[in-house]
Amino acid sequence: MQALQRIRLSLALVIVTMLLAACSGASNRALRDFQVQTPRPFGYVIGDTIRHRILIETRSGMALERNSLPAQGRLNRWLQLNEISISEQDGGDGKQYQIELLYQQFYAPLEVKELSIPGFALRFRQHGQTLEQPVAPWPFTVAPLRELVVRQDQHGEYMRPDQAPSLLNDRAIVQRVFMALFVAISIVLRLAWLYGYLPGLPQRSVFKRAQRKLQNLGLQQLSQALGALHAAFNGLHGKPVFLHKLAEFYQSHPEYRSIADELAWFFDYSNRYFFGDASTMPQENDLQKIKTVCLHCREIERGSR
Amino acid sequence: MIRKLKHWLLWATLAIALLVTLTQLLQLYGLAGQNRLIGQLLAGKDVGADDLATSAPEVRMARAVYLSRHQRYDEALATLNLLLQQSGAVAQAQTRYNLGNLYLRQAMEKAQAGNINEAMPLLGLAKQAYREALMLDSNFWDAKYNLEVAMRLLPEMDRITSGDEQDDLNQKTQLWTTLPGFPRGLP
Repeated sequence: MQALQRIRLSLALVIVTMLLAACSGASNRALRDFQVQTPRPFGYVIGDTIRHRILIETRSGMALERNSLPAQGRLNRWLQLNEISISEQDGGDGKQYQIELLYQQFYAPLEVKELSIPGFALRFRQHGQTLEQPVAPWPFTVAPLRELVVRQDQHGEYMRPDQAPSLLNDRAIVQRVFMALFVAISIVLRLAWLYGYLPGLPQRSVFKRAQRKLQNLGLQQLSQALGALHAAFNGLHGKPVFLHKLAEFYQSHPEYRSIADELAWFFDYSNRYFFGDASTMPQENDLQKIKTVCLHCREIERGSR
Repeated sequence: MIRKLKHWLLWATLAIALLVTLTQLLQLYGLAGQNRLIGQLLAGKDVGADDLATSAPEVRMARAVYLSRHQRYDEALATLNLLLQQSGAVAQAQTRYNLGNLYLRQAMEKAQAGNINEAMPLLGLAKQAYREALMLDSNFWDAKYNLEVAMRLLPEMDRITSGDEQDDLNQKTQLWTTLPGFPRGLP
């Protein structure tokens, strides 16, 4: 009889233990993880923001009911919810939620006072059933900014003055001016170099000087004109340039290859003039052609051809 | 051909660079003029309406500060209301703070003159303006301080702000934004 009673008792114990285990495991089954991350609970003043983060990991088939979260806006006279963001990620066989709540409190206490952000219940839905997970109220303390006996100034109670606008910032404009000026000056220098205006660079202005000489010469001074242009070629090349050595000249000054025909004519004409028979009478047209050759050489020299 | 193109590109770039320099110098000159106006207003000298017509928001803000300092509250209010539409969170917060100061200063003057009933709605508006400024910038310490001034200004405010919490939670509407005693008739 006693043995029977003992068996009954132990059976009852086993059933009770199983039931208890089943009950306590109910919430664990539903949510794998539930964390509320909060900042320090003290040292707040009027207008401060407080950020709460709720991390949830659910089991498969569970979904958060978003309308169970507090709505954005004023929650009570001194507290408002400025931002609420929910990010959802699919985990292994459930979901991971991260809820960010940004509160702002507007309580003006006379002394350090404890307040509390109200709690709420998060609802989850699983196969038509609803499960609730409470989020506890969060107590924190606020402190006043002003002394109890307030300061007075000539207008009455002391208050912070108006905010004067700062002066307009001109840094960006000054930067742009300097950048544009730098570009402009660099280009001016480059052009001055190309056009032979920089002192100490005679190589850059040989045809410029030749052109200047040619300007005032007439048909009678054709030999001088030819000589001036020859001098320019010799000066540029560093040694005398002849018709049969033009290929060598082009090798060191390839940019002149574009007027190869004109140069060939010039050197040929010069040869005929100085060393040929006197039967070829110089024409006005020839001088003009020589001047054109010089002009083209000048254009190549300054890079515009 | 490429040499020629490069050459004329140099000239074109030079022309653009010179044009940019010129326009930026003109802008700089305009900016210096605006900064001079701001300095003048903050030093307590008014400027003509012509100068303000095309001026930057900062100049108009400086004028609002000037007007408020000289107790020309209605004109200051009109100037600040125009500035509420400008962009930029910092400028918006600053405008709302100055608007709050304008209301608070008027409320203090009314309260000192004994017109508590006129001071109350002004205080409500001041608090609303400070709250909006703080929502835009929660580290705006001057707005925090003055909001506390507004909250504590009248003894009634003290009683309500330090009242029991349950009462505070239930009272969801702001206290002084509406005039008490207005009849609320049904249609």
